[in-house]
Amino acid sequence: MTCVPLLLGQMDQLVRSPLCWGIVLGATSLWLLLSGGSETLRGIGKLLGAISLLMLTATLMIVGDWSSQLVFWVLALITTGGAAAAITARSPVYTAIWFAVSLLGTAGLFLFQGAQFLGVATVVVYAGAIVVTFLFVLMLAQPEGHAPYDRISWSTFAVPTALVGAAAVIALVLTSLDGLRSSEPLTSPPQIATSQQHMAELGGHLFAYHLVSIEVIGTLLMVALVGAIAIVLHGRKSRPETAPDHPSRPTTDAGLPGGTP
Amino acid sequence: MTDLIPLSTCLVLIPALPLVAAIVVAVLGARLLKERSHYVVVGAFAGSFLLSCLLLLHLNANQAGNADGGTERSAGFAQVVTLWTWAHVDDAYEFESTDPATMADAGPHDFDIRIALRADALTGMMLAMVTFVSTLVAIFAAGYMHGDRGYWRFFSYVALFVFSMTMLVSVTNFVLLFVFWEAVGVCSYLLIGFWYEKPAAAAAGMKAFLVNRVGDFGFALALFLIWSTYGTLNFHDTLADGSPAPIALDAAVSPADGPAATVTDGVVRGVLGVRRITANDYVGGQVALMICLLLLLGACGKSAQFPLHVWLPDAMEGPTPVSALIHAATMVTAGVYMVARCTPLFMASPEAQLVVACVGGFTALLAGLIAMTQFDLKRVLAYSTVSQLGYMFMALGAGTFTGITAGMFHLFTHAFFKALLFLGAGSVMHAMGNVIDMRQFGGLRKRLPITHWTFFLGCLALAGVPPLAGFWSKDTIVAAVHERAHELEHEAAHRHEVEPSRPGGDHGRPAEDQGGGGAIRHFAGHSHAADGEPSLVPVALIAAPAAGGHSVLESLSTEQLHRYAGIYQLLYYVAMVTAFLTAFYTFRAFYLTFYGEERIPPEAEGHAHESPPVMWVPLAILAFCAVFAGLAFDRTYLRVDATHLFAEFLANAPSLAAGAVTTTKVPYEFHLMVAGLSSAIALSALLIATYLYLGGRREILWLKSIFDFELIAGNLDVEAVAGWSRVGWIAAIHRQARAAHLGWLTSLVGNLFLMAVLVLTTPFLLGRTLSPYNLSQRKFYLDEIYFLVIILPMRALGAVCFVVDRWVVDGTVNAIGRIPPRFGALMRPLQLGLVQFYALAMVLAMLVLVAAKFIWAAG
Amino acid sequence: MNETALLYNYLVIGGVLFALGLIGFVVRRNMIVMFLCAEMMLQGVSVSLVAWSRFHDDWGGQMLVLFMIAIAAAEAGIGLALILMLFHQSGSLDMAFWQDLREGDQQAIVDKEVPEVDERDRAWPQLTPAGIQPEVDPDEQLHRSKI
Repeated sequence: MTCVPLLLGQMDQLVRSPLCWGIVLGATSLWLLLSGGSETLRGIGKLLGAISLLMLTATLMIVGDWSSQLVFWVLALITTGGAAAAITARSPVYTAIWFAVSLLGTAGLFLFQGAQFLGVATVVVYAGAIVVTFLFVLMLAQPEGHAPYDRISWSTFAVPTALVGAAAVIALVLTSLDGLRSSEPLTSPPQIATSQQHMAELGGHLFAYHLVSIEVIGTLLMVALVGAIAIVLHGRKSRPETAPDHPSRPTTDAGLPGGTP
Repeated sequence: MTDLIPLSTCLVLIPALPLVAAIVVAVLGARLLKERSHYVVVGAFAGSFLLSCLLLLHLNANQAGNADGGTERSAGFAQVVTLWTWAHVDDAYEFESTDPATMADAGPHDFDIRIALRADALTGMMLAMVTFVSTLVAIFAAGYMHGDRGYWRFFSYVALFVFSMTMLVSVTNFVLLFVFWEAVGVCSYLLIGFWYEKPAAAAAGMKAFLVNRVGDFGFALALFLIWSTYGTLNFHDTLADGSPAPIALDAAVSPADGPAATVTDGVVRGVLGVRRITANDYVGGQVALMICLLLLLGACGKSAQFPLHVWLPDAMEGPTPVSALIHAATMVTAGVYMVARCTPLFMASPEAQLVVACVGGFTALLAGLIAMTQFDLKRVLAYSTVSQLGYMFMALGAGTFTGITAGMFHLFTHAFFKALLFLGAGSVMHAMGNVIDMRQFGGLRKRLPITHWTFFLGCLALAGVPPLAGFWSKDTIVAAVHERAHELEHEAAHRHEVEPSRPGGDHGRPAEDQGGGGAIRHFAGHSHAADGEPSLVPVALIAAPAAGGHSVLESLSTEQLHRYAGIYQLLYYVAMVTAFLTAFYTFRAFYLTFYGEERIPPEAEGHAHESPPVMWVPLAILAFCAVFAGLAFDRTYLRVDATHLFAEFLANAPSLAAGAVTTTKVPYEFHLMVAGLSSAIALSALLIATYLYLGGRREILWLKSIFDFELIAGNLDVEAVAGWSRVGWIAAIHRQARAAHLGWLTSLVGNLFLMAVLVLTTPFLLGRTLSPYNLSQRKFYLDEIYFLVIILPMRALGAVCFVVDRWVVDGTVNAIGRIPPRFGALMRPLQLGLVQFYALAMVLAMLVLVAAKFIWAAG
Repeated sequence: MNETALLYNYLVIGGVLFALGLIGFVVRRNMIVMFLCAEMMLQGVSVSLVAWSRFHDDWGGQMLVLFMIAIAAAEAGIGLALILMLFHQSGSLDMAFWQDLREGDQQAIVDKEVPEVDERDRAWPQLTPAGIQPEVDPDEQLHRSKI
């Protein structure tokens, strides 16, 4: 069991690093934000979250000259900050919007890496189509845009465990990437990032090596389209006149759309 | 006519027709045939009967040819038709022996069971009898069972029953014999319990089945012993490839050469094969005794002999045609047939023969005594069957050729008149609305004239009144037992003459130096064979090998011979007494039923009339047979050198003839003295019964009170005893005691006196219970004894098993069974039904896996 | 640019995205939010894949991301249709309604009582009035049953 002292050594190293504190701060802030406390607590949580994001961003490696470094930092902050805001927002509408922001950041990151097509596709498909679909559904289901159950979350067991689990995921990623951090810098940009004919090459690859996958994905999309329509139509047809009275229903009709004033 | 259908076809078709009928009725009966089911079955039975007759003609022709053209050594005729191989195991049996008697079987034997049918005289006779009686019973049943809900089911069972029985008598090896032995048992179970809604019928069916299991267990053990002793279970000799060996003996095989010579021709000798029989190559001693006793146990179960006879009277719960079928043709004759078929095995063990005879004699007497006082008409007949079967076993136990053929002859004639009597009883039941208690009806001769007359003929035949069928067969049985006693006595006497000149174990025998004819000289001094020459010696019987012969009797000491002779003599008297009883109870039942003032039970209102023709025509046919079957076959009364056709015919069956002749070659003859005595006894019993039951009734009550100890026990009941305590001097003691203020003395004296009187009278009270009348009426308490000795311990054991099963086995199993639910209950809270919880569990599990991977990699 | 640093940073960001999506998926009670969080986890994986694609100078990663976008679209279509059905049945997007597959003797998890409707959440944003203010039912200001 030589791994235990080794692991302990790594732990020791971790405890001293700002990275670790950044993770702990972030977890705390998420806990404050998610447990549905007062506005003050939420404010503290937002503050802590911002600090932790900054700390985490600071621990990232330097990627190049200052301009590109700045761009990267901004994109990283947008992405992670948007994501954090998305999961803590009290209204699902805001969640969707923050998610879209996070997606824009991701698209920027893709562009920053020279994956132009993916960046644009993400914006168009994700932010443009999927998130909009979400918003449509939200408007169908929850026209007020908010509901009481959005103000709380599973708390007793789920929030701490999820936070610990997520922290462990990040810690694992960071620990496993330690070797990368200390390795020789590699400066020659790869061919796929510098290619002048990015789209052409991507398309060539897509249709040369992944033709079958493309067809399958196309078919899948088709089936999903038909399936979604079928589900909705069929469900509407067989919908019971009155919603079954669930014994497990924990809420009153306050959660229903158009509930009592 | 015999050329029309070859023998082998006949043989196969005889059992096949009832089987086909059974299947057809079973499949089509419920929907299609219904009330027409009997056409199929009766047709099949009639076809089988005709084919059986044809088979008899075949056999007769072949035997005649055998006698004319065959060698003198021919030991009879048999033909084996092999259909297919059922089971075959190569070299299943490795026999190593240093015993010269069994040396011939040394070497590997295959276990080879073929579905094969055998035709010889014994089989032919049984087949004819079975199919004939079955046909008539089926015709009768068509009337008797009319309107029954299970009409077609009944005929299907009956056809299956007859199929089983015809197969039983025609198979060629012990395994198949056992199979159909069981099949007959199953069919009897189905038929006795035919009215299964009736609890008594269901219980009777079960009783028959269970009692038969005891016998079958013995039979199975006997098969194992035969296999380990002889290395084969086939009756007949087989060639190396399993096909039947030709019956005719090879000229090169001389019995005088001894057993070793017979095995060289590459023939595996069957247990009852001609080669073994002619060489008289049978294991003697304890093994033979054991085999025979176990076989006898099986036969006792099927043929209702003493320890296992209890099922047969209860089997009366089944429909009456079934009773007739069981008692006359199919079931109970199986045991007799089996013992007769295994005659050579029994020949090897005089002790076993003695046991057979004793069991038969005891059963005959016991059943006769019980039948004296029964009031159920069918039960009287049932005990009469048991008694008559006892006769047959007595005859088989006599062991002489005469005895065995007499047993079979009695089986043959008994089938007719017992079927007749049962069908007559069925006719009475039919008219009386299923009432069978003789106290409830009487004087039916006007109402049921045809039944009355046919029943009368059946009774005469059963009682053994000459010249009806029963007389001839019973007479030969009694004579055979008598002869056996004389033969043994004679042998013993001869020893006394020879022994002084020949000391040592080798008891001399005059036959030794005189060849085959010598055996007859044993009976030179016998009163019935005074001329010393056989009046008939079937050609097939001239096979007495010098090496075989009397070797079996030689193994007995002189004292044993004397003792055996005494026992056989005793059995002879038993047979006579039973003959008296038979005639008496038969006519008692007859008079109670048909004479006296006319009484008709309320159940019979409106239909107390003669049965339809479909029922009385079989009665008439059977009555005809019951009258003439004996006269037709036994010709010995005509003149001294006349033949007994039946015995002569049976003598051609290898297992009977050659086996019997090695011990005794008694010419068949008419024993005037025995016949006269037994018929005189029967007639006297008949007259007594007539006097008692046709005339006044006072004497009956008088006799009953004598046999019931009424005079002794009548005044000894408890009230009377209590009354005695107030007689003079005791009362005086009481007065004195009371005057002296000694009340306790009064009570002490009174109680002591009461106790003493009770103790003294208890034997008398018990004696009342054990009075002859009560014993007979209660069937010697055999059912009660079985209940106490067998059923109660079994139930106690069952209770123990139940407790063990319930508390120990079930407890353990349940305890083990409770573990998974407990364990599962621990896990149940995890099943929340909430998607997010599952996602969380997945995350945690993933983390654990990744962490494990890291630790693994680091370690 | 430092390719190694780039890879490192992207993987960290991908991990953070994935972790945040995970947290959201597990702790939020609104089904649509849960669905968005699942998309977020996909996004984190996409970021990592693109980084690896660049680092190894291989198109495979990008191809995979392309397919993931397509699958996410299909998933969104089907998933949202299903959510709509569920909503029609229960009248709510709350995940706490759907615990019917639990063991028979288990109580449904309530966790926290759903809070009373907060008046502040009912206030809708208002534009600066321009022109004549129409007559408005004051009740409709607080609660609009239909949009």
